[in-house]
Amino acid sequence: MATVASLPQVDERCIVAEAQTGNRAAFEELVRRYDRDVLRLALNLMKRPEDARDVYQEAFLKVYRNLHRFRFECSFYTWLYRIVTNVCLDHLRRRQARPEDQAPETNAGHADEGITDFFERQREHRPTLDPERRLFGKEIQSRIALAMERLSPRERVVFEMKHYQGLKLRAIGDALGTTEETVKNSLFRATRKLRTQLGGLR
Amino acid sequence: MSANRLTRCGDIAPLLVFYACNEVEPQEREQIDAHLTGCASCAAQLREEQEMQSALISAFQPADQLDPSGALLAQCRSELSELLDDLSAPPLREQWSPFGWARRWMALRPAWSAAGLVLLGLAVGTQVALWIPGRDGNFGVGQAVNVKAAAPLTNEDLSKMAVAGVNFAPAADPSGTVHLQVRTEQPIVLSGSVDDADVRRVLTYVVMNGEQFDPGVRLDCLDVLKTRTGDKEVRHALLAAARRDQNAAVRMKALEALRDSAADDAVRDTLLEALQHDANPGVRVEAVNLLVRSLEGEASGEPPAPGAAPEIAGSQIPPDPSVDRVIRALAGLQHRDPSRYVRLRSAAALRQIGPREVQ
Repeated sequence: MATVASLPQVDERCIVAEAQTGNRAAFEELVRRYDRDVLRLALNLMKRPEDARDVYQEAFLKVYRNLHRFRFECSFYTWLYRIVTNVCLDHLRRRQARPEDQAPETNAGHADEGITDFFERQREHRPTLDPERRLFGKEIQSRIALAMERLSPRERVVFEMKHYQGLKLRAIGDALGTTEETVKNSLFRATRKLRTQLGGLR
Repeated sequence: MSANRLTRCGDIAPLLVFYACNEVEPQEREQIDAHLTGCASCAAQLREEQEMQSALISAFQPADQLDPSGALLAQCRSELSELLDDLSAPPLREQWSPFGWARRWMALRPAWSAAGLVLLGLAVGTQVALWIPGRDGNFGVGQAVNVKAAAPLTNEDLSKMAVAGVNFAPAADPSGTVHLQVRTEQPIVLSGSVDDADVRRVLTYVVMNGEQFDPGVRLDCLDVLKTRTGDKEVRHALLAAARRDQNAAVRMKALEALRDSAADDAVRDTLLEALQHDANPGVRVEAVNLLVRSLEGEASGEPPAPGAAPEIAGSQIPPDPSVDRVIRALAGLQHRDPSRYVRLRSAAALRQIGPREVQ
């Protein structure tokens, strides 16, 4: 994001316009400008590198094929961000439809040892340089990953964008092409489900 | 929601999720704060909510940890390049087709269409021709004439000309014929090969005197000239455009046209100048890319660029001082460039080039 802010808008327009004429070098320049952010977003949302890689390819191919439709009504990055989040959402939905893909890469040996209060453990064993604590940190991550996998794709994307990318609900709605109210509902359900699955405090 | 007063636990509890992540309206926040001071149950629920959110956030594994070496990004980039190679050119801007509906209608009704066209032809031939001035066979003044350039264009012609359009489609026309719509004293369409002296003079003149012509025309001329970068005069024109043109897209395209000659001294000087002094970060990045490409080419033993000094068999290749200048320039750029992206790209370029001894 910082990269985008530091580059003058006029240069972006110039490169996008050039890429719209079919100039491959200009398109590749756009890719190089934004692909770190795209991959980071895809990794955050998909968690698995191989899925993030698929999202990266699919998103940029969509941009390449549809760049002539871009009318400068928003910034190029906003447009790209919308494409990437929607590609992620599609991938998550497809992943959910395939039962064999649902199990995340977890440390199952530790995930099922009957730890009832996740938050208690979290307080006692924050991951530090201590190998034993690092192991607990990994366990916590795998439990969170497992709980996240059980959210619906939209709930998951909304939760990630809110808490891990720090976006406001309105911005999330813009990116996903939906209303702030819908996003709010998704976040509420996601939080409730995570609380239940992570050995809630009640 | 904010219109009603929030006083009961049943109203407050569902909002605590949003309160904890700072997504409530200021008015709601005030009412929730007021309620929390007197309600231990809701206050406890809020603490749980905040603890859960902070626990989830602190256990979050940043994406940078998932690809610490950048290997995944590099892999993605190379795969995308291959995919783009496989694809044909992307569709250009959609052209407005004013009689598209008529063409579709005619395609489905050929007999009616043929009859209609005959009638239309008769009407035009018998009626409309009466209204056209100069129908005695002379061309009207100002009408474009398709001619072969008989006399060479003079410098005065060049300084007064305006180029209305350039039409060049090497894919469609293997002979590489260029059609230039030039307005001098009389508008002409100059047709000829890229190697034709007059065509070449017009193209290089346009590129070198950018301020007189439209940027679109300059870009079209660069498109034609980039097929002849081996020619000294063309390269000179491209270098001039890369250094002086007012338009960043033109400068970038001129640099791109020189990509196969990047090992040439004059080209490398121009790239270094763009790298250090061009006002546009996109152009500076293009210069970084081309310099890296040229150095990688040298390292991998690709054939020298046109114009580069031939290698003498059995002799030791003397160290190239311009390589040092490139490395020094990139090293400076990675710290000083005002654009963060250029700084990052320069740092990546230095890694890409790999360690070399700087003299």
